Amino acid sequence: MMLMAAAVGLGFETCRLSADTNTPLVAAAASLRDAMQALVDEFRQSGGGRLNLAFGASGNLYRQLRQGAPFQALFSADESYIDRLAADGVIEDSGQIYALGRLALVMSHRSPVTADPRLMDVSAALDDGRLKRFAIANPVHAPYGQRAREALENLGLWNRIEPRLVVGENVAQTAQFALNGATQGGLVASSLLLAMARQGTIKSALIPQSEYTPLRQKAGLLAGADPAVPAFLAFVLSPRGQSILERYGFDPVRPSAAG
Amino acid sequence: MDWIALRLSLQLSLLTCVLLIPPALWIARRFAWHRFRGRGLAEAVVALPLVLPPTVLGYYLLVALGGESSLGQWYQSLTGNTLVFSFEGLVLASLLFNLPFAVQPMQRAFEGVPVNLREAAWCSGLSNWETFWRIELPLAWPGVVGAIALVFAHTLGEFGVVLMVGGNIPGETRTTAIAIYDQVQSFDIRGAGIMSLVLLGISISAMALVFMTGGRRGQ
Amino acid sequence: MSSTLGLDVRLHQTLPVPLNARFSCAPGELMALVGPSGSGKTTILRAIAGLGRGQTGHVHCDGVDWFDSDAGINLAPQARRAGLVFQDYALFPHLNATQNIAQALGHLPRADRVARARSLLKSVHLAGLEHRRPADLSGGQAQRVALARALARDPAVLLLDEPFSAVDQITRRRLRRELATLRHRLGCATILVTHDLDEALELADRMVVLHRGETLQTGVPAEMLRKPANAIVARLLDQRNLFTAVVAGHEPGLTWIDWAGRRLQSTGRIDLPIGDWVDWMIPAAGVLLHRRDRPSRGERENPVQGRVSKVVSLGETLWITLRVDQTDPSPRRPLEHPLTFSLPEHVARRNDVEVGSSITVSLLADSLHLMTPVTGR
Repeated sequence: MMLMAAAVGLGFETCRLSADTNTPLVAAAASLRDAMQALVDEFRQSGGGRLNLAFGASGNLYRQLRQGAPFQALFSADESYIDRLAADGVIEDSGQIYALGRLALVMSHRSPVTADPRLMDVSAALDDGRLKRFAIANPVHAPYGQRAREALENLGLWNRIEPRLVVGENVAQTAQFALNGATQGGLVASSLLLAMARQGTIKSALIPQSEYTPLRQKAGLLAGADPAVPAFLAFVLSPRGQSILERYGFDPVRPSAAG
Repeated sequence: MDWIALRLSLQLSLLTCVLLIPPALWIARRFAWHRFRGRGLAEAVVALPLVLPPTVLGYYLLVALGGESSLGQWYQSLTGNTLVFSFEGLVLASLLFNLPFAVQPMQRAFEGVPVNLREAAWCSGLSNWETFWRIELPLAWPGVVGAIALVFAHTLGEFGVVLMVGGNIPGETRTTAIAIYDQVQSFDIRGAGIMSLVLLGISISAMALVFMTGGRRGQ
Repeated sequence: MSSTLGLDVRLHQTLPVPLNARFSCAPGELMALVGPSGSGKTTILRAIAGLGRGQTGHVHCDGVDWFDSDAGINLAPQARRAGLVFQDYALFPHLNATQNIAQALGHLPRADRVARARSLLKSVHLAGLEHRRPADLSGGQAQRVALARALARDPAVLLLDEPFSAVDQITRRRLRRELATLRHRLGCATILVTHDLDEALELADRMVVLHRGETLQTGVPAEMLRKPANAIVARLLDQRNLFTAVVAGHEPGLTWIDWAGRRLQSTGRIDLPIGDWVDWMIPAAGVLLHRRDRPSRGERENPVQGRVSKVVSLGETLWITLRVDQTDPSPRRPLEHPLTFSLPEHVARRNDVEVGSSITVSLLADSLHLMTPVTGR
């Protein structure tokens, strides 16, 4: 029986080796979960080639990349990590900004707190006890978490809200926390609102750009990447790509196609 | 339904069983019947993965196998790929964190074989190998079966160490457990539910099959 | 190094059990190792089989060195032609009787093993039980399978470790009889470890008495019971008439001793000066009752008078315990053990021997055995 298991295992191994490892792997920030999948699908359908995606907090992806993870490109949620890669000579050039991200307040429709751009009701709810827990992404690893902290500080809420924070490992997990019954709301990437709305009715508001450092989402390609990868980046920057990003709640950086 | 992730999980579990059980059997037998200096310490080291949180294990594995380590660099010079974030790295990590699940049930089983049976075998002219193959192993077999079942099921379900050492690379290190986590984060609750059910079904069937065929023999 | 046939053993050990044993056993001879628990009997047996460790000395068998600590030789059990029957049989629980025996038949071609195993089973009267597993065998049957397995390799030495201690009395007697018959056919040297003296008496050609690892005496059992080497051996052999006296005089063919105020004579010789302490014993058979109507006047008979303190009936024999009248008790010695002897029941009745009655017995001088006292008793 052991021999059977060995044969099966080895059989699998040879299959595996021939299968997926040739498809280029692209790392993308968690805020791009839905948008990236749409872009990759459209890219493939128009004959650009297959790409695999790996998601996570930008900081974690950066760390994995430095440790040797086989990513051929990193679509980060802001500039900082790409700039570091450029300084270390890991990426080909200084990177490309492909979208502008927006921070959004979101809560489930069952939450006793209502959404407004300057978090007024959140502030009131902190005082009258309606708000017990609030979700943000980890400010150490996730750009959206950093911006959330910035915004909360600038809006005068940080000291009061800090003891009540629930920290998500990346902004997608933060969206999970914001919707499940454990918190009464959270700050997430506006690009995730579409997917969240599919899960149930939500209340949301975009935080004014003035309250946080802009999320200039930058992408970097590694040297020697498969030709499909720079082609994909070009697609993302094309009007078609930018309009997909816009649909998912990002602000375009290049002219987008109509519709 | 992520079939690739399922295939990866099964491969990892099978490979771990095949590669780990024979050396673990040797270790278990030595622990059971030989008194040697430092045995207590050796047993404690083997038992470590039982008590350490997966993150601690993952951390040390990253240190030992990562790009900065001598092992990692040797592997990289050999194959051009990193050891972490690769399936091979996962297999290596799996062999280590499954050690107590393999050794301990077998050690208990060997300890349960009375020493005078081995002596009777030697006095009957059986060599050490023959004694092992014909007397010790059949009597310790339920323990071996238990170890295989435990290692298989435990590897199927391992999450923390796999995530830290393997990352989440589709087709390479995204096992079913990771894929489920991923799907939940993508709000694909239905997909996560399907995969969880499949994993549950496989685990139960594997354990049942192994216990039905292997247990209770020779008793 | 020895070229004689049979087994020659000399073993020494300090820890964990002290051992200083020496004996030999000829082919065809059955030798009993007798002694209390902890005297090292099982250790010696295991050392002969090859399962010992930490001893010095030698074990030679049929001219082959199995173990010689000086020469650095220590053959593995597989390489020795010894058959060991364990106290708890050590049968392989997952194999049936035939397979158990077949494990010891590796020296035969595969095709012959089953047939030979079957014939061995038959020789121990277990034909028909070939396919039974040990769990389904009675104690006596398991014992026989263990014996057959030990005999399968045609051993030069058969080692039996208290083989009958785990079965009931009746089965034990039957197995003993079977062993007595079997071993004459076998022709190999047999070592039987037992703490049952009756067993040793019934089966053994010769006996070794062990105490705390020392071989105290080797000899024919009946001889040893009449003439133990010293008081320790006498006690180990359950000789109850064991006393201390003072040497009173030497004569050619006679020794006089002073005991309990009497002067007794023995035909035995002892190399002790007058005035020294001497241990003496007399087997129950050497104590004869004086008939009430005809007191004995024979020579060399050491008449002694006393009061019956206990009468124990064992079927048709009575065991009498006699408190000897002390005419001059030595204040420094404690009161001696009483004398014990046996009588057929009808003789006791005819002579009015009952608790409290006063009787006279003869201690036959040629049964009265003298022993040098053991220092530090």
